[in-house]
Amino acid sequence: MTILTDIVFVLLSGFALWTGWRVFRTDSMVRCAFLLMLSFIAVGLMMLLMAAVYIGVATVFMMAVEMMVMALFMVMFMMNPAGLNPMWMVHQHRLSVAAGVVAFAGLTAAVLASTLPAEPLPPGRPVVRDLGTELLGPSMLIFETAGVTLLATMVATVILSSRRGRFGDAMEGACPPGLEPGGAPAGRAESESGGGHHHHHHHHGDHG
Amino acid sequence: MAVSRLSSLAAAAPAPVYAAIGEGAAAAIEDLFLDARLDRAASPRHAALLLVCGRFRDDDIADLCRLHDQLPHPRATLRWRAEALPGFTPDGVDLAPDADVAAALHAVYRALVAGARASEPALLPDEPPNPWRGRGDHGQGGEGMMGGVPYGRPMAMTDDDLRDGLALDAYAAPFGPFLSAFPPGLRLDLTLQGDVIQKLAVARPPFDQPLEAAHPLRLAARMLLPLGLPGLAERMLRRAAGLAPGTPAAVADLARALRWRGARAALPPGLGRIPGGGDVRTRLDGLLAAAGRGEAAPAPGAPMALSELLVGREWAEAMLVLASLEPGWLRRACRADMPHAPSEDAA
Amino acid sequence: MTSALAAIALLFALLVLGALAAALADGAAAALARGRPAGAALAVPLRRAAFLLHQQAVTTERPDRLNWLLAPVFYVVLAAVGLSVVPFSADLVALDLETGIVLWGACESLVVVVVFLHGWSANAPFAMIGAYRYVAIGLPAMLVSMFVLIAAALPAESLALTAVVESQRGLWNVLRQPLGLPLFLVLGLSLTLRGPFDYADPYDLAGGTSAEVSGPQRAAWQVARLTMLVAFSAMAATVFLGGYLGPVLPGPAWLALKTALVLALVVAAGQAFARLPPSRMLSALWLVLMPLAFLGLVIAGVEAL
Repeated sequence: MTILTDIVFVLLSGFALWTGWRVFRTDSMVRCAFLLMLSFIAVGLMMLLMAAVYIGVATVFMMAVEMMVMALFMVMFMMNPAGLNPMWMVHQHRLSVAAGVVAFAGLTAAVLASTLPAEPLPPGRPVVRDLGTELLGPSMLIFETAGVTLLATMVATVILSSRRGRFGDAMEGACPPGLEPGGAPAGRAESESGGGHHHHHHHHGDHG
Repeated sequence: MAVSRLSSLAAAAPAPVYAAIGEGAAAAIEDLFLDARLDRAASPRHAALLLVCGRFRDDDIADLCRLHDQLPHPRATLRWRAEALPGFTPDGVDLAPDADVAAALHAVYRALVAGARASEPALLPDEPPNPWRGRGDHGQGGEGMMGGVPYGRPMAMTDDDLRDGLALDAYAAPFGPFLSAFPPGLRLDLTLQGDVIQKLAVARPPFDQPLEAAHPLRLAARMLLPLGLPGLAERMLRRAAGLAPGTPAAVADLARALRWRGARAALPPGLGRIPGGGDVRTRLDGLLAAAGRGEAAPAPGAPMALSELLVGREWAEAMLVLASLEPGWLRRACRADMPHAPSEDAA
Repeated sequence: MTSALAAIALLFALLVLGALAAALADGAAAALARGRPAGAALAVPLRRAAFLLHQQAVTTERPDRLNWLLAPVFYVVLAAVGLSVVPFSADLVALDLETGIVLWGACESLVVVVVFLHGWSANAPFAMIGAYRYVAIGLPAMLVSMFVLIAAALPAESLALTAVVESQRGLWNVLRQPLGLPLFLVLGLSLTLRGPFDYADPYDLAGGTSAEVSGPQRAAWQVARLTMLVAFSAMAATVFLGGYLGPVLPGPAWLALKTALVLALVVAAGQAFARLPPSRMLSALWLVLMPLAFLGLVIAGVEAL
């Protein structure tokens, strides 16, 4: 059983390395994103073999969503269809090679310098519960603060970039509501030409 | 043995037909597809038979040839109530104007599946319209990471945007005149960002369909297809097919079904509003009410250009708006958006 | 070990027979919605499939052939992997994973990837738009389902599906958490590109991601959608209808019956409702369904305390 696990582990690490290498050899943004996803999925499965059941499956889950969103944005901004117009995917060679070498050396040093746990997991140990206690126990403040901050940033970015503002179209000069119904806009002098104010919006339709 | 079983199973399937609808043929085609022996294919790739029906403009012939070649083998063309089409010359079958078309289509389909009838060869050479003109140091299309004009088509590049300032890639292409979701004959030159229509020019207006003012129920049924309700649309068409113009139809059950299926709620209020002609939702209500009273379709409202209605809309909303427009009104709206007069269409 | 092998055999039997039953149900439901007799239409999907095997698989100009061909294969694999954590009885489960629900969630998110690849790799505009659209709708639908599933896991105090089933011995989750099953059915429609949630392959895009697909390749895509429907139905039956629990009959029989029930519900819902334009559906998902799912999660959390 352990030999079988070892074989699967080696195969998966080979697959992770191969797909990671193909990321740089392909000629399309979308293929690139999903090759990276395959690499991460292989890593997630390796974590499953190492009895990290939650982190392993969650890696697959998160990477699928992340790479999907990344691929979508790439297509939206660089509509590179499947095979019609191949792209050259690598640039800034020297910087990339240097960064790669430094990262590899650093990670290798970290692995060699640290003492990795070698004892097998005692059977029946509730690993998921332990992980949850760790995440939502002493580290909860950090994780929750970071999570809520990120969410607020995302929402704020969308609101700031959207043309359809809360007080009307951003291109027509958004205007805060008056202090009394129908009154002059609060906190601002009416200085625009007012071109957009009698524009009839499409969203005022009847709901009946 | 197994192969012949598979063949006989396939021969019993409804024949998948893609209809190229010409002038004056829309209503007849809609009634034809009420027959259970036929499937109306949404894409030519899904069809075995190409049914050519009605009158076409000279400009449409090249598109008709391209459409023909998009059908996978085995394929066959059938002409029904179609005038002579110089330049469109597949072998095909000519059907008598009063033939049992569904039966004839299915017979040709069975012959195709059984191998008794040879598949039609392509009409056009299968090669890119222009040579590959890739540039760049590494064989990619353009300079750096984007751009280029592979096969004569400019690659999409980022462009200003009408909606949210995301400035996505703009994709420009002609759509129609045989697109199943468009009114037959309409050909639009569109620029899309994501699925938002950024620019619109009408290359060819839709065909005149004199018979289709026949019943408002028929117009209402067309609005249900983009809503994903083909079943209810078929029930409406079946009711409309049996009625002479001006006869009141029983629509209470259809109106109830529309409400229960959330068709009215699915239509965004204010979508496709025309001064004096309501929005998509009120037009659907108006058509049903008119059908119930045996009246003609309600007044379509003040004239507008098609681009005023469709630019800035997402594709699905644009298809709903297109389906909701009274055919005569739509033809006038298209003329307002045609870059040159129809007489210049020599190319 | 033998019980795992037996469970794997049962899993494939359920997938194959379920997909067959789903095809028949599709034929009947489409005929009923059109006001035609259902009996004669039962076999229509099978006949259509037989025709597709006779048809040429056309190709587009420079597609990503590998991904285009593999998309339906991946789809079926995801259905099988997702189904592998569903227990057929207390000790009959192909993959008794402590985090079964999370594995199902991973399959859900990979379905979005597969459908996107199916549309993108065709190298054609309508297929691409269908792929865009599906990502926009599929991701929030998946988030809703994750809230719903976590709420269902709370009374079990475990992410393992065997524990979720055992927690329903007294009361099925469909009654304990009445918001759960309807919201989860939304995911079922979205995962299988069906009716009101068919944003990938709709009529207005001339078939969307399938617009350029023909012949055996199209048949494979339809079969893949049906197998995913079976996997989803079994998951819904397990999480909300008590899975293998039930008197007299053995566990696998109960699971199959409840799976068939959910499958029929999804097929009917696919014919019964109109499809909203994508932006309106997006608003509905984020502003109505997501808060509802969150409300359900809060209620389940308070109950669990």
